[in-house]
Amino acid sequence: MKHRKLFAAAATTAALALLLTGCGAGGSSGSADPTNIHPTGDIKPREISWLLSRPADGGVITAMKQIADEYAKDHPGFSLNLISTPDRPSYIQKYETLAAANQLPELFDTDATPFAQKLAKQGKMMDATALLKDLGVYDDYRPAALNYQRFDDGSLYMVPFEFQLEFFWYNKALFQQAGVQIPTSLDDIPAMCTKLRAAGITPIALDGQDQWPLERYMSYYPFRTAGPDYIQSLKKGDAKLSDSTGTAAVNWLSTLGTAGCFQDGFSSTGYSDAQASFTSGKAAVYNIGTWELGSLATDKLDPAIRDNIDYFTLPVTKGSVTDANEYVSPSGIGMAVNSKTYDPLVRDFLSFALKRYPAVYAATGALSPTTNVSTTIPANATPLYQRAVDQANTVGDKTAMPWDTQLDPTSNTRLQQELTLLLQGETKPDEFISTMDGVIGENGPKAFK
Amino acid sequence: MLPQRSRLSVLIFLIPPLALYGIAVLLPIFQSLFLSFFDWDGISPMTFVGAENYITMLTGDTVFWKAFGNTLGYVAICLVLQLGGALIVASLLTLLRRGREVVKTLYLLPAVISTVAIAFLFQRVYSLDPVGLINQVLAFIGLGNVQHAWLSDVSTVLAAVSIPEGWRFTGLYMLIIYAALLAVPAELEEAAKIDGASWWQTFWRIRFPYIRPVWITTTVLATTNALRGFDIPYLLTNGGPGQSSELLTTYMYKTAFTSTNYGYASAISVFVVIECLVAVGIIFLILRRKADA
Amino acid sequence: MSTLSLHRATSASATERPQPTSRRPKRNLQSRITGIIVAAIVIVQVYPLAWLFITSVRTEQDFAGGNPFAFPTQITFDNYARAFANGNLGLNILNSLIVTVGAIVVIVFLGMMGAYALQVLGFRFSKFVRGLFLIGIIVPVQVALVPLFVDYAQAGLLNTYQSIIIPLAGFALPTSVYLFSSFYEYIPSEIYEAASLDGAGPYRIFGQITLPLSVNTMVTVAMVNSIFIWNDFIFANTFVLTDGLKTIPLGLQNYIGAMGKVDWTATFAAVCVSITPLLLVFLILNRAMTYSLASGATKG
Repeated sequence: MKHRKLFAAAATTAALALLLTGCGAGGSSGSADPTNIHPTGDIKPREISWLLSRPADGGVITAMKQIADEYAKDHPGFSLNLISTPDRPSYIQKYETLAAANQLPELFDTDATPFAQKLAKQGKMMDATALLKDLGVYDDYRPAALNYQRFDDGSLYMVPFEFQLEFFWYNKALFQQAGVQIPTSLDDIPAMCTKLRAAGITPIALDGQDQWPLERYMSYYPFRTAGPDYIQSLKKGDAKLSDSTGTAAVNWLSTLGTAGCFQDGFSSTGYSDAQASFTSGKAAVYNIGTWELGSLATDKLDPAIRDNIDYFTLPVTKGSVTDANEYVSPSGIGMAVNSKTYDPLVRDFLSFALKRYPAVYAATGALSPTTNVSTTIPANATPLYQRAVDQANTVGDKTAMPWDTQLDPTSNTRLQQELTLLLQGETKPDEFISTMDGVIGENGPKAFK
Repeated sequence: MLPQRSRLSVLIFLIPPLALYGIAVLLPIFQSLFLSFFDWDGISPMTFVGAENYITMLTGDTVFWKAFGNTLGYVAICLVLQLGGALIVASLLTLLRRGREVVKTLYLLPAVISTVAIAFLFQRVYSLDPVGLINQVLAFIGLGNVQHAWLSDVSTVLAAVSIPEGWRFTGLYMLIIYAALLAVPAELEEAAKIDGASWWQTFWRIRFPYIRPVWITTTVLATTNALRGFDIPYLLTNGGPGQSSELLTTYMYKTAFTSTNYGYASAISVFVVIECLVAVGIIFLILRRKADA
Repeated sequence: MSTLSLHRATSASATERPQPTSRRPKRNLQSRITGIIVAAIVIVQVYPLAWLFITSVRTEQDFAGGNPFAFPTQITFDNYARAFANGNLGLNILNSLIVTVGAIVVIVFLGMMGAYALQVLGFRFSKFVRGLFLIGIIVPVQVALVPLFVDYAQAGLLNTYQSIIIPLAGFALPTSVYLFSSFYEYIPSEIYEAASLDGAGPYRIFGQITLPLSVNTMVTVAMVNSIFIWNDFIFANTFVLTDGLKTIPLGLQNYIGAMGKVDWTATFAAVCVSITPLLLVFLILNRAMTYSLASGATKG
């Protein structure tokens, strides 16, 4: 009889635990008012944490460490604990699970994803518009940098810390060797690839392993032919890939595949290998943002090809609804402020840090998300560096949003998988379209209710 | 049984291990079953959906069935490598006169390396651009035309992610089988040889029946371990290209922790539990029946 | 089958190993071929490891530009410096050590207790409990991820050493129980009876007889499990959220930078550092380890 009692006890415990799970999780646990940016009370210095996804030795972390040290001098007992997970997929998983466990720290990074929007709706993040306006820094920001962080309804919950431009870097010597010109239209790219291939050159180096670079190519054609709104209706299931915009985009991608635009085995090529393929003069084109200026526009570059490197911006299409100066100009992953732990100290630190940040950050040679400072060009820069930095001032209003921050995670994962298959010629455009329309139709509307 | 045991003493010894086991293993299985009837993203309230997750999974989810097929392929390749490889090497080892200990040690070495390190390693081994180990060897022996991005081709990727898993534990299974082979009485084999039995006959009629119990254990171990396979496909290809190397475990993981669809992920978990129980049942059925025949 | 073996056995004893000298050259050739095959297999098995160590002392340029599988043109230890500078290798190793030791202690002691209750004390439903334990051997660990995550979040156990130790120990416990009970089968019941007559109760018998006799099995259990626990990726990856608790596999994962950028040579240096402790233990305890792995698995 002993064991039966025992088993009954175990079952009761199990049931109890399940009950707890059902009731406890998920509820908004009495978070503070996300617009109350003036909490009452004294500033009591303590350690605050920032869960972030940025390179450990990069400009943002370096600048914020310096600023936190400065702040700590006047506020003994204060420290900023930076917990960085640079690998983005791991980071997203970490932050989403922490959110589920209701254990997010004072500050955390997130893109304007559907998941983040749910958190915002539950009042778990501070209203960034109100916060930045109250601190008197709102107008310093580049509108494009803030727009990148906004949710579809225009609300702003994340603060940008970077401003990047994504270019097509190319090797002039290889272009000349193959007798190709800079493409003026996206439709020129397949022909360009064919010619480069014929000359024995890898046309475009692609980091296929990390998925997001290929997903950029998915977003280009619709951005030109239908503008930035297309993805916003696509992700909700309102637009379909089977309509003319979508079909044109998918067919274009498919021709990139048949023209052999990307190196063989691109789907298992990593970031560093793709970049090395370009910087060693093997590949002719490489699509990457200004965060790589340090590798692509300084004397770190192999002298043999240093002077052959140049860049062009996203080509337009016939009847393009967006201008040539509008392309992917992300302000990086944004920082959200946890409303549950928001208090006078957090406010005071942010006030100090956000005012101080642009100058410190621009001194590292990076583009500030604000317009009130100018970037220090490093001593070892090539002339391209200055040109790229100046380009930031000519960027148009509309920005091409990376689709991985827009789609619901299930559709996004599936899109990334199917894109590889499409580009490798494993699936036909029409199969691709019907698969993706099915997946988005099933998951999109649910995610954006 | 001890004569002076009391009910209390049994409980004192039994409760701590059973409690840990209950919390870590049994309770989660029950919870998976429970969660699998809900729709839940971790931050919104849970909603009861009945058997909907199971219906979607079994009837409408092509990725699920693809992953199931891949899992079977993965297990098959791992078993061939681990059990076949182990049996061959163990048999060769019994013929060896010197250096058995060294071979055993070297052969077991990969088992001590973490899967993250193995994934890093094999990424370079399979790579095409820059040319990786396998493609270099191919070029060296004059087969440059079959050079390949092994992890990008949908037809080779499943084998490519299974091989590291097989590679890493062959040594372990080899040790087990080797120990069993040593226990086969030498007189039996000598006698068979003298009677003119070929090596194969000796092996099949004398050695193998003798080690059958160990063989069953090893098969069960290798199968359940292969069904648990997760780390290497997850780290090496993340299931790609497409879903060509997606296993049920990696699909379950992504559904839970990327799509934050905990209910659906739990339904997959429940399926995995059933699948494992069935697999072990089948192994016992086949190997036992052979023993009776 | 039985008649056949009987026949073989008798003929074996009749011809007491004659070993004619004329057959020796053939045997030599055969064993040489075997030796070559075994050597080839061992090279395939070990070469990737050697490559790992060679790469860790290459210069970055040598690795990126040149032939990554040739011998390095020059040897550098900068990679190790970068590996230590960019990561928290020391901390990672310490964390792995804490988790491994913690889990092993739990596995060994609870395994012994469970086996003692099942095998030595015995009770009516011991078969049922054994069956219950069998589930843990069969079911894959991933099943526990989501529920445990939810439970830990409730109990505030996320991001603690316990959160990794509990499932690792829980899933290893069944094999441990089986190993100990199959060993306890061999302890003659006379010993217990004698002790009982001397008035020893179940606790004293456990402490004074069973425990001291179990030392060998304890070593086996500890060794079989330490490889798996030291290298566990999935539980640590799911339940550890901050850098301070990262174990070696997670620490290595940290070398993948933003957007997927990897410093390969430093990563391989880190890999080499991370496998060294276990490798050393393995090589030092080589004999005991191979023995216990084999015996452990066969008995289990």
